[in-house]
Amino acid sequence: MRSLQREPGVLLALLAVVALVAIFIVYPQVRVVVTPGGSYTEFLAGGTWMKPFVNSLQVMALSTVSAVFLGFVFAYAMVYTDMRWKPLFKVIGILPLLSPPFVVAASYLLLFGPRGMITYGVFGQTISIFGLGGIWGVQTIAFFPFAYQLIADVLSRSDARMEQAARNLGAGPWTVFRTVTLPLSRPGLGAAILTTAIYVLEDFGNPWVVGGQFTVLPTQAYSLISGFGDFTSAAAVSTILLALALVLYVAKVRLDGGRSFVTVSGRASSMPRPPVPGWLSSACFAACSVLCGMIVLVYGSLVVSAFTLTFPVNTTFTTSHFAFIFSGANGVALRNTLVYGLAAATFSAPFALLAGWLVQRGTWRGRGLLDLLLIMPAAVPGLFFGVGYVLAFNERWLDWLSSGGLLIILAMIFWNVPVGYQAAVAGLRQVDRSMDEAARSLGASSLRGFRDVLLPMLGSSLRVGFITTFVRAVTTLSVVIFLFTSGTTVATIRIFQLVNDLDWGGATAFTVADIGMAMAALGIIAVLARGRVALGGARA
Amino acid sequence: MARVLRNAATAAVASETPTQPGEIHLRLDHVTKRFGETPAVDDISFEVPRGSFATLLGPSGCGKTTTLRMIAGFYDPDKGDIVLGGRRINDLPAHRRGAAMVFQDYALFPHMSVEDNVGYGLRVSGVAKDERDRRVRETLEFVGLGALGDRWPNQLSGGQQQRVAVGRALVLEPQVLLLDEPLSNLDAKLRVQLRWELRALQQRLGMTFVYVTHDQDEALSLSDWIAVMNAGKVEQAGTPWEIYYHPRTSFLADFVGAVNLVPGTVREVRGDEVVVAFGERTVTVRRPSGLALAAGREVRLCVRPEALALRPPAADPDGFRLPGIVARRAFLGDLMRYWVTVDGREWIVDQPDPGAAADFDGPVTVAVKPERIHVIAE
Repeated sequence: MRSLQREPGVLLALLAVVALVAIFIVYPQVRVVVTPGGSYTEFLAGGTWMKPFVNSLQVMALSTVSAVFLGFVFAYAMVYTDMRWKPLFKVIGILPLLSPPFVVAASYLLLFGPRGMITYGVFGQTISIFGLGGIWGVQTIAFFPFAYQLIADVLSRSDARMEQAARNLGAGPWTVFRTVTLPLSRPGLGAAILTTAIYVLEDFGNPWVVGGQFTVLPTQAYSLISGFGDFTSAAAVSTILLALALVLYVAKVRLDGGRSFVTVSGRASSMPRPPVPGWLSSACFAACSVLCGMIVLVYGSLVVSAFTLTFPVNTTFTTSHFAFIFSGANGVALRNTLVYGLAAATFSAPFALLAGWLVQRGTWRGRGLLDLLLIMPAAVPGLFFGVGYVLAFNERWLDWLSSGGLLIILAMIFWNVPVGYQAAVAGLRQVDRSMDEAARSLGASSLRGFRDVLLPMLGSSLRVGFITTFVRAVTTLSVVIFLFTSGTTVATIRIFQLVNDLDWGGATAFTVADIGMAMAALGIIAVLARGRVALGGARA
Repeated sequence: MARVLRNAATAAVASETPTQPGEIHLRLDHVTKRFGETPAVDDISFEVPRGSFATLLGPSGCGKTTTLRMIAGFYDPDKGDIVLGGRRINDLPAHRRGAAMVFQDYALFPHMSVEDNVGYGLRVSGVAKDERDRRVRETLEFVGLGALGDRWPNQLSGGQQQRVAVGRALVLEPQVLLLDEPLSNLDAKLRVQLRWELRALQQRLGMTFVYVTHDQDEALSLSDWIAVMNAGKVEQAGTPWEIYYHPRTSFLADFVGAVNLVPGTVREVRGDEVVVAFGERTVTVRRPSGLALAAGREVRLCVRPEALALRPPAADPDGFRLPGIVARRAFLGDLMRYWVTVDGREWIVDQPDPGAAADFDGPVTVAVKPERIHVIAE
């Protein structure tokens, strides 16, 4: 505390961070949970949320298990085998992270819907693909790449030296994996599973597009608002959703913070992993080929649809869909997407870095609480976050916020703060305290030392925060779905609307443009950083 | 504003440095620092004269680094005052204290060249570019790195990095230079060489150095003044000579060099002399100053291995003689170390220059001059 009084600059920065967190993270969420009006409790007593609640749990269990299983196979193959085409698989595995997850549902309809390319085109069938089975299948495909990234991260951090040691002591590859790798990675794997479960639980777009009569909590909340304008009941549903997500998140944090053996050594890659048998490599290669084939099929059909007249009926090449999305209101939506994403990333990453520095390097009381608040949005379903912003800031005197798109940018910034914050804290842990102390003992104030010494050394944290925030901002649907106005639409909203209107050409062209934007941003950052860039979103 | 103040402070220090030898420059007054419940530094007080090389010596966890970091301003003391140059600095932030620090891992900024590292403090305090360049050049010459200004830290050897770290702190002409085990990451030979360089540097500048180390050789060879710390307290402070030959506790005697500590009982105090019985024998030694002794008091006799000599069994050397048997020995290059059993207790005896001396085995006589025996009260 005394150190803060002596350095007013740091105190000021801290007060600013606390104020922003209080206004844009804490207040909106409190507003959802304690919405005024009697219909809140009435709604809860009515029990119409019971069915979606059970549905949500059911879908979460099914999709998480299947996505984690596929993700694990993919991750094991990538980390442990020396199969062919690894770089290609790696690139294909990143692709889904750069797109709005719900476009998988759109692609699914194109392929398997009533007039789908495979069901109708190949087999001449029109089967019902809506409902639980549809959501399960779509979410499995949409989220296994996320599970793969999380699990691969955990597996690759396990220490190869220990596996070599176990082999040296006479254990076979399977025994090593069962008795050394798995026990060491268990907390990390548990955390990866729970994180995937959170993604599945808060997914709104996929269940909306292919769920049909099968309602889950996020789609129920959306219907309540879009159909009846009933914000109070929607807030109640969102709160239930939040409670579920928080349970998962707290469990994940306990696993993460617990016995995390795998992170003990920072130079685990100094030794190659023991080789796996040839047949296993081949099996892994086959599995990865199938999985990547599915991803290519999903995104390939989107691209083909974007360039053909009415896929799959009329496959004449056309650029008219792109002419459509670049013109008029659509063009504005695309421009908004880019501007909002850039603005959010530009502010969110440095803000998160500053906050990370204040918390990680500070000695003041209460930094544990601030740490918790800065990470919290990672556990908050996007829909809940969006509803919170509507309830908190939809005031007449704040119209200037929403009309210029500022409210959307703010939501994107603070919903993504955990990404940059965790990257910053991880980066700061790598930099010894003696660095900032050296600057201070040479006459630089704490803030000056942060700027001159730490900031240049934390470039990679800043890049991770920037690019991940940008990608998440341009691909999120649930956060912005209640916040847009006619002048502030963004790509994901338009895709959603066009899918609802069954305008497949426009929707897929929009999707291609949106993914293209995310890929371009990642590419530019990668070139600027000479390849040293990683997406951090999967770990939030 | 801050810049102006700081420049003025630096200038003032530079001009007042040569005055009044022996004047107290740094004073710690009943300083306590707790981490949780356990005190890391427990009510310590000491004074460092201006222009002296002061060393805090102790085993790891004794609180020496915590003390240094409180002087630097990285930790706040829970109690007590830290006074530098007559001014209480408890409430000054680290960057206003004029106490530059050299870190154990050097903490060179990896994204700055050697020149920029050394010039960093000057840049922060707003020194104009021309003067900055000149002073950086001079400092690099001074620490023997004149040609390496445009290198990057990771292109330097450990010893060169260490010199950059020292130069980076010295260029600011700080009130006091704080050094936290700056030589411990170097290999043995270089460590000894840089030890002499540091000492020479300090004497040339007449600057106050506060040096932290766990290496007693380093402390003895470098310092004007040593404070030996243990469990958060200063066990004893004084010149290297006092610490080595007149330790006040067994811990001190044992920590600083090899030592024979033999339990005994005071028989009689005769003016400046004291008669101590140990085992079946008695010896008359000088009474240590400032130590109240009476007959019956349990004490320890403290004698350094190199103060003992081995003689053939029948010899009759001057001084006190103890018949014993060589139990084992170790050749250490510059000396031969013997463990000799005398009355069932092992004594360590160092024989210098083994190449020129006789080799002992079996029965021997351990010869010791009583004036080389120091008495510690327990």
